[in-house]
Amino acid sequence: METKSIVAVRTTINGREHSAEVDSRLLLVEAIRDVFGLKGTHIGCLTGDCGACTVVVDGKIAKSCLMLAASADGREIQTVEGLARDGKLHQIQQSFWDEYGFQCGYCLPGMMFSAKELLETDPRPDEAAIRHALQGNLCRCTGYQKIVQAVSTAADRMSGGTNEEREDDHRDDTPTR
Amino acid sequence: MTIEVERAPREAPRRRYVGSRQKKLKGDLFVRGKARYVADIELPGMLHAAVLRSPHAHAHVKSVDVSRALEISDVVAAVSGEDARELTGPVPHFIDPAVFGGKTAEVRCLAVEKVVYAGQPVAAVVAASRNDAEAALDAIAVEYEPLEVGLEPAAGTQGGTLLYEGWEDNTIIHIPFVEGDVEAAFAEAEHTLEDEVRIQRYTTAPIETRGYVADWDTSAESLTFYGACQNPHPLRWVLSHALGLPEGKIRIVAPHVGGGFGLKMHGHPEEALVCMLSRMLERPVRWIEDRRETFLIGGREQTHTFKVAFDDEGRITGLRNNIVANVGALGAPPGWGMAFLTALSFPTGYRIPNQDVQVSIVATNKGPWNASRGYGKEATNLVMERIVDLVAQKLRMAPAEVRRRNFINKDEFPYKTNAGLNIDSGDYHGALDKALAMMGYDDLRAEQERLRAEGRYLGIGLAFELTPEGGDIPGTLVAGFDTTTVKMDPQGKVTVLTGVTTPGGGNETGIAQIVADEVGVSLEDVTVIQGDTGLCPYGFGNYSGRSMLVGGGSAALAARDIREKLAKVAAAMLETEPENLEFGEGVISRRDNPDASLPTETVAYSVLTLAFATAAMVEPTLESTRVYKPDNITHIPDEKGRIQPYPSYSSAVHLAVVEVDAETGVVDLKRFGVVHDCGTIINPTFVEGQMQGAVAMGVGAALSEELIYDDEGNLLTDRFKTYLMPRAGDLPSFEMEHQVTPSPFTLLGAKGAGEAGVGGSQAAVANAVNDALAPLGVTLRQMPLSPPNVLRAIREAAEKGGVS
Amino acid sequence: MITRTLEYLVPGSTGEAVEMLTPSAGEAKLLAGGTWVVPDMTHGRVRPARVIDLRRAGLSEIREEDGHVVVGATATYSEIVASSLLREKVGLLPIAAAKITGGAQVRNFATAGGSACYAIPSSDAPAWLVALGAKMRLLGASGEREVAAEDFFRGAFRTAARPDEMLTGMAIPTPPAGARFAYHKLKFGESGWPIATAACVLGLDEEGRCRSASLALGAVAETPLRVEVGAVLEGSPVTREVAQEVEEIAHRAVAEPWTDVLADGEYRKSVAGVVAKRVLLAAANGG
Ligand SMILES: Cc1cc2nc3c(=O)[nH]c(=O)nc-3n(C[C@@H](O)[C@@H](O)[C@H](O)COP(=O)(O)OP(=O)(O)OC[C@H]3O[C@@H](n4cnc5c(N)ncnc54)[C@H](O)[C@@H]3O)c2cc1C
Ligand code: FES
Ligand code: FES
Repeated sequence: METKSIVAVRTTINGREHSAEVDSRLLLVEAIRDVFGLKGTHIGCLTGDCGACTVVVDGKIAKSCLMLAASADGREIQTVEGLARDGKLHQIQQSFWDEYGFQCGYCLPGMMFSAKELLETDPRPDEAAIRHALQGNLCRCTGYQKIVQAVSTAADRMSGGTNEEREDDHRDDTPTR
Repeated sequence: MTIEVERAPREAPRRRYVGSRQKKLKGDLFVRGKARYVADIELPGMLHAAVLRSPHAHAHVKSVDVSRALEISDVVAAVSGEDARELTGPVPHFIDPAVFGGKTAEVRCLAVEKVVYAGQPVAAVVAASRNDAEAALDAIAVEYEPLEVGLEPAAGTQGGTLLYEGWEDNTIIHIPFVEGDVEAAFAEAEHTLEDEVRIQRYTTAPIETRGYVADWDTSAESLTFYGACQNPHPLRWVLSHALGLPEGKIRIVAPHVGGGFGLKMHGHPEEALVCMLSRMLERPVRWIEDRRETFLIGGREQTHTFKVAFDDEGRITGLRNNIVANVGALGAPPGWGMAFLTALSFPTGYRIPNQDVQVSIVATNKGPWNASRGYGKEATNLVMERIVDLVAQKLRMAPAEVRRRNFINKDEFPYKTNAGLNIDSGDYHGALDKALAMMGYDDLRAEQERLRAEGRYLGIGLAFELTPEGGDIPGTLVAGFDTTTVKMDPQGKVTVLTGVTTPGGGNETGIAQIVADEVGVSLEDVTVIQGDTGLCPYGFGNYSGRSMLVGGGSAALAARDIREKLAKVAAAMLETEPENLEFGEGVISRRDNPDASLPTETVAYSVLTLAFATAAMVEPTLESTRVYKPDNITHIPDEKGRIQPYPSYSSAVHLAVVEVDAETGVVDLKRFGVVHDCGTIINPTFVEGQMQGAVAMGVGAALSEELIYDDEGNLLTDRFKTYLMPRAGDLPSFEMEHQVTPSPFTLLGAKGAGEAGVGGSQAAVANAVNDALAPLGVTLRQMPLSPPNVLRAIREAAEKGGVS
Repeated sequence: MITRTLEYLVPGSTGEAVEMLTPSAGEAKLLAGGTWVVPDMTHGRVRPARVIDLRRAGLSEIREEDGHVVVGATATYSEIVASSLLREKVGLLPIAAAKITGGAQVRNFATAGGSACYAIPSSDAPAWLVALGAKMRLLGASGEREVAAEDFFRGAFRTAARPDEMLTGMAIPTPPAGARFAYHKLKFGESGWPIATAACVLGLDEEGRCRSASLALGAVAETPLRVEVGAVLEGSPVTREVAQEVEEIAHRAVAEPWTDVLADGEYRKSVAGVVAKRVLLAAANGG
């Protein structure tokens, strides 16, 4: 058997720098989960189809099963654990909870990141735009309807309010419905 | 001793949680990425298993040589089927066909001597990492002697390639459901028609695959098993048999489960396998299924060949239906039983006095079935609804009218069907009218006319759906009852331990709502614990839309016991009668004088601390374990030998609007509406969520999902690129209304709400596509209605000369 | 799970990449976005000993070069969609690239170059490149060469690139100003593979008569097919009748249709003409 090949990876995850020696065979999603211990990123297929492994790489959403861990070297990564700030949920998280935008929750991290990238480029998407933005994500539980609603609610909340509130898309109060 | 009556602030009018939209309990864990699933479990010293699977669909296994794999440095163990036979017994069937007079076969975690489907486990490797374990599979040498492969039941029924030794043919069981005088019905019929519906093999495909971690404790000689599983206690029974360990030595823990839909019901070979490996190595062993492996498990493949007798008025007088189900290889999970229920559930909610429905359940060299949401009843709904539409078409009558004329009337409930099912309640005519109004049916027909003139093919499809839910199969661990413990601690906080589980549907929140109302605490003060045989009372987990029904029912009973004790003690403390008390959120007050009230905490504390004084009249500790057994189920055969295995029968009316591109066969689902009746609703948000998920699944089943095999029996659709499930952009927003006819047979009036939706939506879409293409003379018989299947049917109709 | 241990290299230039590729050509895999090659490795379909990640090779630029727009081999679909240069000069590409499925997650990293090099019959980019008359720029130890897109695709998963060669870019001749274009993609479901695609570039005169026309079909055969539409189209306006003729020509052009599990050859052949007709009408009507 061939000797193992180890690659040094320095990467920033959720704002914290990490260095690790990783098996060159590892996928980014495997490293995130098993080397860096962030289990919130899920594996549903390892073929790039389900989107459960979605994270942000250098500011753009990516399926972390389509990337080698080695390719994370020098890159900045955000995972679902990095969405909340100082314990406060991001508006997208809050909206997914409020609107029951998940059932088993397995697809949830990917859904939230697809929603986030959409709202960054199109703050007031219509239903078709929301559905299109979820193209890379599968959900088997919800039929997507409450996910779409959650994204729409998040859009309302993020584009409403004062400038100051908009600056920070996190909140600690649970909005009443 | 005198007690100061504390004056709690006057509360707002009491909120009743039941019936209201509450957010998922502990939902923040999920949105923060902190909910833990089986693949997230890490135990010290844990090893990883990988499974070698047969590349042949049917072959003798001449030899398995694992020695080269064992030489690899990171490999800890490699085992063949022969090795495993020394270490485990067979996996018992969840529902053994032999119990029902059918044939049975032994199932082992690794194949011995023979493989009967491609993908069957033949050997396993354990290594320090999953990568190393997978890599070492290549080093295992297996010698096969391929046998003739039978993938279609036709060959099987005639003998052909026999899958199992000692069987004279491949039919597992044949069951008739005959009632009335069918001969006469057909002889006297004003009209008859015959046709066929062929349902493809498709599957559940939750986004989380299966996965198990087994942790053998050498000193205690006991096993802890963590698994993505729906039924912890019954699984413990299975593992106890397979491993030869007393049930008391096995603890099953189901962490959060990423969707089940039947797939995660037990009997899978890998369950016993990981336990065996852990016991053998005295270390924790984990196996996580990969997506390709998930697709090996099938379901639902059936052909229905039917004849219908009916009169000028559209009343169906007779039905013959010959069902052949291709259940693949016989596995230990409860898959094959689905086809039984398909036949049992005819003719759904219609009054058809004479029927001859026969089902042949046949084994072939495809992968085994496991339970799939709908559990066979989805197929009954699809076929019945196609039948009703075919009758309407033949008589040129409105599809809604034919349904009205055949529906059971709302004053006929409870209604006994041909197969002996006792339907609890419903108002099918009312639901139909509601659905037509909600969708603007007449306008839709006008729009269809207009578009037809432009050469566009709009189709409108109706479907009624009846879903027997909450079933109990006698002689098996498929039970119609369940158990819950409710405990209140001295601070007035409540813990609920229940035998039902949730793979994501949110029943924990619904159960908490029930308990919060019953004992009068706020929802945040209720903690629900599920899925751990070490903590929870004996229960059966999640299947058959039962969790709210019996989990909620038993929780309500146990909570009432607590409430009763609290009431007695509070009455003494407030110097009144229990009947004069009002339970608010964390406060108990006198009805006649709301200012006289006590925090529930004070009362709970007193039960334990004043057991020989004020609280002397109750048995101390606020804890109760209760079983809820709904009415209506009876396993004592009636005069015709029929049993009645379901307590409740939810119903729905679905309406789909599609446009078909006749040049490409592509179907566009434009609108979808459903009126759903699951009796009393505990939490509308969750009921809608269940229905929306089920409808999406049914749309996928109708249009695109299919497990396709090559001629050698290898699965070709082994990833989401080829197994096409609906995505957000494939679906419209579903329009939805509730109808509530409470079940008279269940504690809360609730009916099951979990399985309904798959068959109804599938049927509505199928009817809509047929309706769209009716001007071209097309009748679609092969599911799914994928573009190639639709285009082929259009072509064939054109060759036959269009409209008949 | 990737089972074979691999050597992971990140060249800083194309020269370095070629040096890394040459000695181990058969055993090495170039990695652009990785969206295809990584899952292929995960599932054991390819087992390279060496992976050469091109992300720092400087190949992601999209630039103008005398009469051409050169799309770097590692320019992602998202970069193509966002490129104002392309939108202005080769409008077909951004529109077509936006139709790649898999979500923004895939388009943000996947490249048209990677798609071309992989040459999956049921994919999008090959037909665009053929319709646009792109020239594929290849670099190897023996130097640089250009191959016309039409000659580049040799069969299912086969291209004219030698094992020791890499793609550096795709040079696309700028269509005449005012050219019209359209892209039609038939797929099953929101994120299905292309089943039949058609890309079309039309030059029309002031009267709406066709001056030049290029139409290529994708996903219907092992390689993209250029449909010879010049004879029927040139000099005539794009009418329903002409479109009907094009439909028939396109249908006939599919001699050996591609079959996979999603759609067999019979289906693909029967819709090839339909997508050709539709793309032509769409292009004539302004895309
Ligand atoms: C969910 C999903 C959806 C998709 N949908 C579509 C779709 O709608 N249409 C479609 O066409 N495709 C689709 N794809 C396939 C998609 O992976 C390709 O289209 C993509 O463009 C490949 O680019 P890449 O940069 O990721 O290639 P890589 O995976 O990096 O490489 C692909 C192949 O090309 C080789 N290669 C890469 N760069 C070079 C180079 N410069 N020189 C020589 N060889 C090179 C690699 O060695 C490898 O063999 C989809 C993929 C996924 C995962
Ligand atoms: S696990 Fe990455 S897309 Fe499914
Ligand atoms: S919530 Fe279960 S997969 Fe989306």
